[in-house]
Amino acid sequence: MPGSIALEARGLYKSFGGVLAIADVSFTVRQGSLTAAIGPNGAGKTTLFNLVTNLYPPDAGSASCFGIDLIGRAPDAVATLGLVRTFQTARAFPGMTVLENVLVGAHLRVRAKPWLQALWLRAVRDEERAIRRQAEALLEVVGLADRRDDAAISLPLGAQKLLEVIRALMARPRLLLLDEPAAGLNDVETAELARLLLAVRAAGVTLMVVEHNMSLVMGIADDIIVLDLGRVIATGAPAAVQADPRVIEAYLGREAEIA
Amino acid sequence: MREAVEIAIGGVLAGSVFALVAVGFTLVYSVMGVPNLAQGAFVVLGALTMYSLETHLRWPLLAAVPGAAVVAALVGGATERLVIRPARRRLPTSGMLILMVGLLTLFEGASLVIWGSQPYSIPAFSGERPAAIAGIRIPTQGFWILGATAASVVLLWYILARTVFGKALRACAENPVAASLMGVPVSRMTLFAFAAGAALGAIGGEVLGPITSIEFDTGRFFTNSGFIAFALGGMGSFFGAVVGGVGLGLVQQLTAGYISSLFSNTLTLVLLLAVLIWRPGGLLGGGGVRREDVREFIGASALPAYRLTGRAAWSLAILGAGIVAVLPALLGGTGLTGSLVITGILFIGVLGLDLLMGYTGQVSLGHAGFMAVGGYTAAILATRLGVAPLVATGAGIALSLAVALVLSLVTARLRGLYLALATLAFGLLVDSVTVGLTGVTGGPSGLVGIPSFSLGGYAFASATSTYYLVWGVAGALVIVLANLARSGYGRALRATRADQTAARALGIRVPRYKVSVFLISAALAALAGSLYAFHFHFLSPEMVSTSRSLEMITMLVLGGEGTLVGPLIGVALLTLLPAAVQPLATYKTLAEGLVLVLIMVYLPAGIFGGGLSGLQRLASRITHLSPHAGTASSG
Ligand SMILES: Nc1ncnc2c1ncn2[C@@H]1O[C@H](COP(=O)(O)OP(=O)(O)OP(=O)(O)O)[C@@H](O)[C@H]1O
Ligand SMILES: [Mg+2]
Repeated sequence: MPGSIALEARGLYKSFGGVLAIADVSFTVRQGSLTAAIGPNGAGKTTLFNLVTNLYPPDAGSASCFGIDLIGRAPDAVATLGLVRTFQTARAFPGMTVLENVLVGAHLRVRAKPWLQALWLRAVRDEERAIRRQAEALLEVVGLADRRDDAAISLPLGAQKLLEVIRALMARPRLLLLDEPAAGLNDVETAELARLLLAVRAAGVTLMVVEHNMSLVMGIADDIIVLDLGRVIATGAPAAVQADPRVIEAYLGREAEIA
Repeated sequence: MREAVEIAIGGVLAGSVFALVAVGFTLVYSVMGVPNLAQGAFVVLGALTMYSLETHLRWPLLAAVPGAAVVAALVGGATERLVIRPARRRLPTSGMLILMVGLLTLFEGASLVIWGSQPYSIPAFSGERPAAIAGIRIPTQGFWILGATAASVVLLWYILARTVFGKALRACAENPVAASLMGVPVSRMTLFAFAAGAALGAIGGEVLGPITSIEFDTGRFFTNSGFIAFALGGMGSFFGAVVGGVGLGLVQQLTAGYISSLFSNTLTLVLLLAVLIWRPGGLLGGGGVRREDVREFIGASALPAYRLTGRAAWSLAILGAGIVAVLPALLGGTGLTGSLVITGILFIGVLGLDLLMGYTGQVSLGHAGFMAVGGYTAAILATRLGVAPLVATGAGIALSLAVALVLSLVTARLRGLYLALATLAFGLLVDSVTVGLTGVTGGPSGLVGIPSFSLGGYAFASATSTYYLVWGVAGALVIVLANLARSGYGRALRATRADQTAARALGIRVPRYKVSVFLISAALAALAGSLYAFHFHFLSPEMVSTSRSLEMITMLVLGGEGTLVGPLIGVALLTLLPAAVQPLATYKTLAEGLVLVLIMVYLPAGIFGGGLSGLQRLASRITHLSPHAGTASSG
């Protein structure tokens, strides 16, 4: 149902040694929206993703996805709920081809049991053929179809990030978290990525994107969450956030204040 | 009372040498993050080199002792330069560990060639007559041992704590990247660590030599004990290593003296397993935390991206099946058929290992332990209780599965290095039980009178019939595993090997896959163990010992991990070559070690994997040349 909440965080805290990486962070991501999380380097954006996907537990606070509690679930169980993420540094699987990488994304949708796979029965073959077709179609979309049989890590970094996005899409997520998907992409590829993200949103997938590329963010985001020093300092529509003095200050640095 | 004190003194003396080896472990581990499993070989190298210097070159004791230590340091340094350094840039931790296993085998093989297989006893430094203090007899050599250990440890402590060099070394241990950014010559530190570690081990061997006997493969024992001391002490703490070494010596001697040496060995290994599992930070210290979202380093060249698919795979399969079918007829009942049976049996075991290591990236250094569990169970049931071989084999597999399940559940939290070391401890534990439980296993001399394998009244008594049985099973397994490998299950395994965190983010239940693949590999090893026993009508501990585990790894890596059929090349080479060329037997260990080291450094994808990607590159160059040449000239 439209208007409901895809992701909700309440009072999240996380510190590493003495560094308070996330402090009292609460926010919501509306279902069907494309929400961007922005903030200066070290603001805690990646940590936020890591907390929500349970790479490590928060010191305090809660998070839920479509009303289901996330904290305490293993990262793979989080994915089972329909929440899939990508990583800031490209993480194509080495030792696998481009196509195989994309196929891994379909893992949760493979129905055939391993003992059936071992016998390569008809049902297995049909299923494999179907996900292979979907993977090839997605590779076509991002222009990697002719490199499908190359080793994934032989791709340029930008292409590896696109590969990671479509790999995540193969899981048919309900909520997709992307950590700096445009890093390392040139202008043409960035435009392609923007089109892809909008298409994904149009298909009904909720997106939360961490991104430093402001023109991309302002162009496609419905909502923006601004983090600075581990705290949420502003939320709202792109235009409102852009005009917010606290956001400008966070980005321009605090020297202005001292002077 | 006097006896107890004398035993305790013996424990402290042996423990001092363990401590020296453990300190060597600590040095290398601090700068590299990988324990040098070849460390124990330097104990042997030191002792035997000193022996040769004294008896053949007639060097006086005072020259031979430092002389042999210098030789060991040179060998250690050369190893770092020639092997470790080039490998380090390309191999992940698991690969480095296998490389170290190769080095240990290489050194053992070299010692066998140089010094032969007889045990050496080195004359005591200052006469054989023990000193007596308050009625307690102490071998005078004991003072040399304690003195040498104390002097070495104090010298090392001084270098580490009081010199600029030591400070740099410690910085490099804490954070090699930061250290190298700050201008610390990290490579020189690794060189020092290896050379100094080797010299420490050698000194230990020289002073201990007179009160024990040393032969070419005693190094294993010191690697094991030194490593246990190092793990008990907390992996990376010098103080912990010394305490761990002396403590281990004491516990071993006291339990061996008062209970039994079987109990002593078993107790130490159980202790090691327990520490690895519950206190990976050691008994004294605590472990550090690591960033989970940062990717572990993966040596990309070690992972084959290209596999045979479609028509190429089918052609190869049909060709292979054809060769297997006609081979016995061609050989006409020569002894080679028997060697081919062994090849097939080991291939079954290595297939499981490939699924575990090649596909999933989990290193098992004790896989022959499962061969032993399966083989002994089946053999004992069939021989003593007359159980049908098929049922006995099933029971062996079931027991092996149960053991594997327990082991994989308790080690589930362990990653890479720790899992490898826990499996090593498991393998050694099985070794000590098969040797020690004489009543059940027949002890070192083995179990005899095992019947042939039989199915519904048909006994596979001849080599040829066993050949078809074994290769039929191996062929079916290849097909089933290849099917698994190319579908969702196989992709999940490979994703797990490549990047666990990213795999989990896509919903792959990594722990579950690790357990299931561990079970499959244990079952296949148990099957291989049973077939082995039924084929030979005999089973002895060394047929399924840790040496066998390491040999299986060599076979796997040589053929090509993660390719299923590639390892067959490795198995065949290492089984058939020594059988065909008997006079080379002395060189077998040396050759195995050398091959493993060379492959790890220069061809981590193995013969099959390397060959395949070479062909792939060639093919893509040819196809790319023609069309692209046109575009380039027009553009
Ligand atoms: N596992 C960790 N251990 C120690 N410190 C950490 C860890 N993860 C994050 N931090 C620290 O927490 C703070 C926030 O880091 P985070 O990576 O979340 O920032 P970010 O907003 O993603 O920055 P960037 O834009 O550079 O990616 C930083 O100071 C970082 O050093
Ligand atoms: Mg970040």
